Amino acid sequence: MTTIAITGLRTFLGRRLAERLASEAGLRLVGLDRLRPHGLAAGIRFREVDLTRPDAGSTLADVFHKEDVDVVVHLAFRREPTPDLDGDHELETIGSLHLLHACAGAGVPRLVVGSTTMVYGPHPDNPNYLSENHPLRGHPPAHCVQNRVETERLVADWAARHPGTAVTVLRPCWIVGPTYRDAVTRYFGRQIVPTLMGYDPLLQLVHEEDCLDAFARAATGHHPGVFNVVAPGVLPLSTVLRTAGKRPMPVPTPILYRLRAYPSQAQTGDRPEGFYDYLRYLWVADGKRGWEAFGRPLYTTREAWMAAISAERMRSYR
Amino acid sequence: MSETKPGEGGELWSEALAGLRSELRRRLASPDAREGGDGGAEETEHFDWVALAEDLRRRLGQFGMRERSGEVDDFGLDPETIRSARPLFRLLRKRWWRIEVIGLEHVPADRPVMFVANHSGLLPWDGLALAETIEEAHGPARRPRFLIADWLITLPFVQPALARLGGVRACRENAERLLATGRSVVAFPEGVKGAAKTFRDRYRLQRFGRGGAVRLALAAGVPIVPVAIVGAEETHPILFKLGAPARLLGLPFLPVTPTFPWFGPLGALPLPSKWVISFGEPLAPAGPGAAQADDDLLVARLTEELRAEVQRLVKEALAIRQGVFA
Repeated sequence: MTTIAITGLRTFLGRRLAERLASEAGLRLVGLDRLRPHGLAAGIRFREVDLTRPDAGSTLADVFHKEDVDVVVHLAFRREPTPDLDGDHELETIGSLHLLHACAGAGVPRLVVGSTTMVYGPHPDNPNYLSENHPLRGHPPAHCVQNRVETERLVADWAARHPGTAVTVLRPCWIVGPTYRDAVTRYFGRQIVPTLMGYDPLLQLVHEEDCLDAFARAATGHHPGVFNVVAPGVLPLSTVLRTAGKRPMPVPTPILYRLRAYPSQAQTGDRPEGFYDYLRYLWVADGKRGWEAFGRPLYTTREAWMAAISAERMRSYR
Repeated sequence: MSETKPGEGGELWSEALAGLRSELRRRLASPDAREGGDGGAEETEHFDWVALAEDLRRRLGQFGMRERSGEVDDFGLDPETIRSARPLFRLLRKRWWRIEVIGLEHVPADRPVMFVANHSGLLPWDGLALAETIEEAHGPARRPRFLIADWLITLPFVQPALARLGGVRACRENAERLLATGRSVVAFPEGVKGAAKTFRDRYRLQRFGRGGAVRLALAAGVPIVPVAIVGAEETHPILFKLGAPARLLGLPFLPVTPTFPWFGPLGALPLPSKWVISFGEPLAPAGPGAAQADDDLLVARLTEELRAEVQRLVKEALAIRQGVFA
């Protein structure tokens, strides 16, 4: 009997992963979050933990110890940036630090951490395909990306000091799918989509089910290391918008970047470049290592996007 | 129309227009039927109108579809864009620059190749012309990808256009990946130094980088073909460079050519200089091997040999040419 603890039970990935694993035989699921989610499946034990509290580390260690946890899956990250910069930092970076302390204290044998390929950052001098060994340059205008970069550094340092724990870091690219919602899908959900005039980068999207598959396999198997979780194939931004029937509204970059309260960015607390640089330069990741470890995804980038927009169209016929 | 992918709106359009056409035909036909007798000639005339409208719609559809890049490959190359730009490039190559190709028999048609060429001209017309020349001779599968300098990558409009036409940012990872997946690469080891040299220094080869091109070719085990491209220097001859205004715009330098900035965006048009593209004997070192690629002295020696060979080819090609524009 393997016991898997999942932090961030109320996040999309945490909830769906817990429900998927709870249905498998031989697994015991412990879900951790600040508040109890509604309608939780029967097989999942809920434990209340607030990662932003100073004593979160000892609380967590206590839980891991009492529940005799074998695998910790760390997914307590914001789905999208909020204007509360300090709060985001407390939860994502300091919360991860508490979790690492707890894992060391309880001697957890395996740790899976969810990250994102956004940590590579959109840079004009990126190679077309970023491997897992590429330096994490992040993107300073995007505070949540910086939190994730810092988290990854903490995890890497910690993993080097704790060889007894097998640490897996998964970096999914932008997730799309019939049910996934975040700031990115909201951006693509608009009828008229603002884009940067004269830029048409290649984008990479992964289907929510493929992403969950990778997390499930990382949680149940032994795969130490860092893996990009991406779908094969790339699509130019213009094709992404056209296939969805959206109308692009190209705005000259200097004008867009001077806007402070830009509609789709107003609620993130970042300047526009925090998000729009990801639609300006390349940040496509190489998925080979992940495909070898977790199997090839069912959906290519194009198919994942088609699945997402067909679900969106179905919803509009109410 | 045959290339368009179904399900991207094309079907809906044609259905709607087919319906419209039959409706139009019915309405046009009914007065004729009422008049009877001499309506036959008129009817064919009406029918021609409808056919014309249909033809126009088809053409408009094609025009719209062309922009609708169905699929791009893993490096952003869009065959559809290349196909639609081909007439323009053919015009540029055959009529505008009158490109003379020498030594094409030196280029292996059955395997990936590392082309190493002299770099000139602000916009990578040389890389594009070389890619088109090879594709014309050896088919689309052998179309080489040309490596482009970083500063072009940051430019709006230029960057996506180059990517769709087969331009790839010059860096080790990209070239490795291209060669490993069996695609030819055009490297310009002079880099920005080559593109940004002033007219006074034309056809004087700059330092060949740090031997990266040779090292990659050795590691991948592909032959290196030296190429001289003569004529691209005169497409955008740089009279002198401005420093201060360039820094203001965030560019490495602001060139002043006979047409730029005087004619604004029209300055991006290349001058109709006479071109010669000359391929040399492939430099195929004994067998592939990572060990050879690690031999720094060997790499440096081969790089220098390559530079001398390209310089020699350039001189030869210059002698063939009677004048800059003739």
